[in-house]
Amino acid sequence: MYIVIAGAGRLGLVLAKRLKEDKHQVCLIDKDEDLCDSLANELKDIIVICGDATYPDVLREARIEKASVCVTATTCDEDNIIICNLAKELFGVKRAVARVNDPKHLPLYKYMGIDNPVDSTSIIARIVEEEASFTDVMSLLSIKKGRLSIVRIDIPEESPVANKALKDITLPANSVLVSILRGPEIIIPSGVTVILPGDEVIAATLIDSEKELIKTLIGKI
Amino acid sequence: MKYIIIVGCGKTGRGLATELSVTDNVVVVDKDTKALESLGDDFNGKKIWGDVLDLNTLENAGIKDTDVIFLLTGNDNINLVVGTVVKRKYNIKNVILQLSDVIKKRVFKEEGLTIVNPTYMVVEVLKKRIS
Repeated sequence: MYIVIAGAGRLGLVLAKRLKEDKHQVCLIDKDEDLCDSLANELKDIIVICGDATYPDVLREARIEKASVCVTATTCDEDNIIICNLAKELFGVKRAVARVNDPKHLPLYKYMGIDNPVDSTSIIARIVEEEASFTDVMSLLSIKKGRLSIVRIDIPEESPVANKALKDITLPANSVLVSILRGPEIIIPSGVTVILPGDEVIAATLIDSEKELIKTLIGKI
Repeated sequence: MKYIIIVGCGKTGRGLATELSVTDNVVVVDKDTKALESLGDDFNGKKIWGDVLDLNTLENAGIKDTDVIFLLTGNDNINLVVGTVVKRKYNIKNVILQLSDVIKKRVFKEEGLTIVNPTYMVVEVLKKRIS
């Protein structure tokens, strides 16, 4: 795939390198001349273009019309919006992914027809909150911008579900136990599987049901 | 009496606000308190300090009741984004924005925005002087 990234700050740069490792063709655009010079020397296999990506000519130089995806990673929300808008409306790029710097600006992305705004601040806040509040719960994977999560929950002695068979446990809606790790053993559970204290339970849950699931399995939040 | 919002209190915004506030209901929005303070005693309207990319700021300024909004922030991209969004979300009839660059004017002309380009206007005025 050919991918154009506007903004070669920390996010843009890390993303460019990762996409390159995945064998994509990558073009980076940034306003900062010195930065572009050093990047062009450092990254031999990535196209670096120096210019203001909110101008159609600069996007044209990046051959954005050939891109499958346009990613905007600048620190200015108004610039990200304009770039995505130009990419889609003027150059017919199918997919535009935009970084949202300030969550308060998120509605603007919506009204400008940008389908994939990534609100990094809120996502990180949620992860930090999770890490800070639950010691025996660990988020393993987050899918669809965090709406679905795969979590690992350690079953304590006093758990209300300890020594109970799964068929006797009522789990909250939209959550399912995927497997139980017991020492070296990996158990794919069925109705008769009994949960023991010390088990590590892997569960998939929608974010809205996560707290309820934790309460069911641990007894507290 | 019209309800008018002016976003951006630079030279143009300040001049326009002062004149219009004599006859109309004017609210000026800017992210810089100093710029708002620069509106002298001749200005007879309301000042709102805040980030215009946050729709709450515009709602505090009374965007739902406004007849006209002028976008004069000096940043083309902010003017374009806010202009397009208020047109789409609040369906404001008269959205007037200043763009220093004409290239973007072409792309966004179909939104029903009134786009003013100062350079173009000065060139026209100067041309008339010699004709």
